[in-house]
Amino acid sequence: MDGTLVGLVAFGSVIGLLAIRVPIAFALALVAAVGSFVMFAFRTGDFTPLRAIRPTTSMVFSNSFDLIHSYDLSMIPLFVALGHIAYRADITTKIYHAARVWLARVPGGVAMASVVGCGGFSAITGSSIACASTMGRICSPEMLRMGYDKRLATASVAAGGTLGSLIPPSVLFIIYGIFTETSISALFLAGILPGLISLLGFILVIYLWVWRDPSAAPAFTGTITGRDKVQAAIDAWPAVALFAIIVGGIYGGIFTATEAAAICVSAAVVIGFLQRKLTLKALWESLRETCIQTASIFLIAAAAKIFVAFIALTGVAPAIVNAVTDAQLSPVVLLIAIAAIYLLLGMFLDPIGIMVLTLPLMIPLVEGYGFDLIWFGVVVIKLLEIGLITPPVGLNVFVISGVVGREVPIDRIFAGILRFLTIDVLVLILIMSFPIISLLIPGSM
Amino acid sequence: MLHRIERLLLDLAAFAVAGLCLLITVSVVLRATVNGGIPDTIVMVAELMVAAIVLPLAAATTARAHIVVEFLSNMLSPGAQDRLIVLGSLVGVLALMPLLYAGWNEAAKNIASGSFYFGELSLPKWPGRIIFLVGLSFCWLRLLLMAVDDIRTIRAGGHIDADGGKTVDLMAERD
Amino acid sequence: AETRLILGEAGPNRGARAAALQHFVDEVTARTDGEVVIDVQWGGALFKANAAAGSIADGVADLGTIISVYFPQEMVGYGIADLPVVNSDAWVGMRATDDLMRGSEEIQANLADQNLVYLGTFTTSAVNIGCKDAAIRSVADIEGLKVRGVGAYGDTFKDFGANMVPMSIYDAYQGLDTGLLDCSQGYSYAVGALKQEEVMTSYTLLNWGQVGALGIFMNKDVYDGLDEGIQTAMADAGVAMADKLGELITADNEAAVEKMRAVGVEIIELDAVERDKLVETGAQYVDAWAERASGVGIDGTALLAEYDALLAKYAAERDDQGYPWTR
Ligand code: NA
Ligand code: NA
Repeated sequence: MDGTLVGLVAFGSVIGLLAIRVPIAFALALVAAVGSFVMFAFRTGDFTPLRAIRPTTSMVFSNSFDLIHSYDLSMIPLFVALGHIAYRADITTKIYHAARVWLARVPGGVAMASVVGCGGFSAITGSSIACASTMGRICSPEMLRMGYDKRLATASVAAGGTLGSLIPPSVLFIIYGIFTETSISALFLAGILPGLISLLGFILVIYLWVWRDPSAAPAFTGTITGRDKVQAAIDAWPAVALFAIIVGGIYGGIFTATEAAAICVSAAVVIGFLQRKLTLKALWESLRETCIQTASIFLIAAAAKIFVAFIALTGVAPAIVNAVTDAQLSPVVLLIAIAAIYLLLGMFLDPIGIMVLTLPLMIPLVEGYGFDLIWFGVVVIKLLEIGLITPPVGLNVFVISGVVGREVPIDRIFAGILRFLTIDVLVLILIMSFPIISLLIPGSM
Repeated sequence: MLHRIERLLLDLAAFAVAGLCLLITVSVVLRATVNGGIPDTIVMVAELMVAAIVLPLAAATTARAHIVVEFLSNMLSPGAQDRLIVLGSLVGVLALMPLLYAGWNEAAKNIASGSFYFGELSLPKWPGRIIFLVGLSFCWLRLLLMAVDDIRTIRAGGHIDADGGKTVDLMAERD
Repeated sequence: AETRLILGEAGPNRGARAAALQHFVDEVTARTDGEVVIDVQWGGALFKANAAAGSIADGVADLGTIISVYFPQEMVGYGIADLPVVNSDAWVGMRATDDLMRGSEEIQANLADQNLVYLGTFTTSAVNIGCKDAAIRSVADIEGLKVRGVGAYGDTFKDFGANMVPMSIYDAYQGLDTGLLDCSQGYSYAVGALKQEEVMTSYTLLNWGQVGALGIFMNKDVYDGLDEGIQTAMADAGVAMADKLGELITADNEAAVEKMRAVGVEIIELDAVERDKLVETGAQYVDAWAERASGVGIDGTALLAEYDALLAKYAAERDDQGYPWTR
């Protein structure tokens, strides 16, 4: 059985199923299961369906169970819970009020503040999904309440969430470092400047968006005195305290980034009760909402993991890389081809999955061309981050969709994403053309 | 009946999130204060994660919280959209079947072999597998019943409320 | 006709262990005159390390790497190579383990029950410990330190009063850097690969034991379907793999220690008297293992005696003839 053909048919089937409104998780899981069954059935050459049942079910189970059975990923439900609890304890509203008052003169100021918040949150979490889940829960509903354009209120945070892996710490850089035997600390440093440039790019998008269409971000109409500003800033202390606890705890060597999530939730609960803003009932409702929301996100992530294992069986990724290798392209064309491959795979697969499928072949190839592996790492991570917000499978977009529910349909979020994607591609070209942007900081350390 | 079970499972999941949060918090506090800790925190948190993620799946299904792409289907007639909703549930029923079959095998295998995790407490591997199986089974059952229900609604000339009309009362306090 | 087999490996295709695995793959093809070709799926694309035993037994891959620590029950016999018994020589450890796995009918039967066949072994090599702003010169120094440790070695550090911090080896750099960790258990080559020398001030060579219960296993149904000649070729390639890894990892470890010295990390060789205290305290975990092994019908005590004899045998071979790659 030609694995590449099966793989391509599978990609097509996923698009087809998604187009007819099949839930994303089910579409991915079913196609992966059927595809794996076919691959296993033809494993020995002739068609032996009975022998395919055991490996297929085993693979489907282990890949989904292992994704969920994870200490590290506990930070995702915890950070989602933080968003819910902070909202019910009035912590998020206060910080938003402060942002609004302080940035009243800046068109789209709150959206910009949200993206900056994503950048700040990236400095404490290594996962884009965690970044999008937390900031999404905190920012998007508030922006929607302020009458922001639905696309802007959602897409800005979905895009901002992608900073999570570019700004250190970063799970993706760690995995890349393991696969390439490059210094993880050098990779972390290399991501800082490209991450900040991406952040500025997103702010530029918001600025242009609101400049062309002021109604997308209604201005604060009341009069604001200096005293209002001071009061708003004082009222926002719980959020500032939470942030200080996380940053201080991680960089002060008191707890790990994973533990930070739990500490933060506990701290928010304590603050909420002390301020008499949170009740036991509200806390319980927050946890139930957290569960519903994370369950649907994890179901998609688990299905995506099964899909990655299936794609590994088909050998479609090495087939693509080998085709590029055989073509003996010039360095520039090779880079463009690599970008195309990652963008294409990024449409369907999750970042870690893409890395384990491609890096073993891709790295020897780019080494042969004499590329700097640290710089190439930044390029790859940026490409993978873009994949998190491209249709049809864009995990960050799904995370935001899980937060806002049916108030904003997915295609509206993707429509908003389009503007951020434009700047992302420009930033990508910048990073690819000028390796110094990535290598400046690690080189000076 | 199924609704009550779903709510119970959701509450158990909420307990699991609270539990893993507490577990991590306490181990950090113990480490920072008395130079101590809780053994096998990592394993226990991972097991609680299974409960937190899988047990709410049935409730999420009832709430129609599974994420879909609908801009193409929105161009179709309401009747056609209803049929696609049913199709989505049926695809879910099919997609979960290999997982259920494997989940059953895994749970049985781990109970029989006495598999455990390396660690001070040598915690058994079966609880997480059982939780996984239970959560998925009720999700599967809910999908199936939902599809049957929706087909009935369509046959009776009705319209499916894709906005998850039951979300509200699921989220509300127990009656 | 050409037989294509799929090998699932959770690690990356980098480093000494990957090179040894590739050596195994190439040797199998060479020794079967191209009849058997093995495609490696790196990075756990098919299954993660904690699902390896079941995935290989179920035929997700035909063969693959199993790391015993994830399967203390299923891999109990193999777990002997993870025990804190005295032997810090990578090559000696691997060859002794390899002999034991091939020689013990109890272990083979236990694996066969799980539809598995042993093919070859790796090691992570000697367990040592690196610290920042702390130094372990005696076991008394362990008291009160925040330590990242694994397996029975970590348990032993805990017994000496260490405060264990759950963390992966990949996060240890940051942990040491921020002060969340005082010390991290590890292997010299891994310190080098992860650039941990940048954040360490001291590195104590324990001259103690290894974590060596990780190796290649095959789906028994698939294995039984191969000709006897091919089976022999795979076994030989497995032994050759241990020699290859011994050569690579010994060089890597030495280079890493040199690099640590060069950047000013204090290299401490733990006194034999102090080391013996570690061994003595670690003995309870060896006993616990023997008891667990008996539970599945493997005579743990007898196996330990055999293992000790094999360690002595290969140590003597090394002393007489040198390592295979220097002969
Ligand atoms: Na980050
Ligand atoms: Na995508």
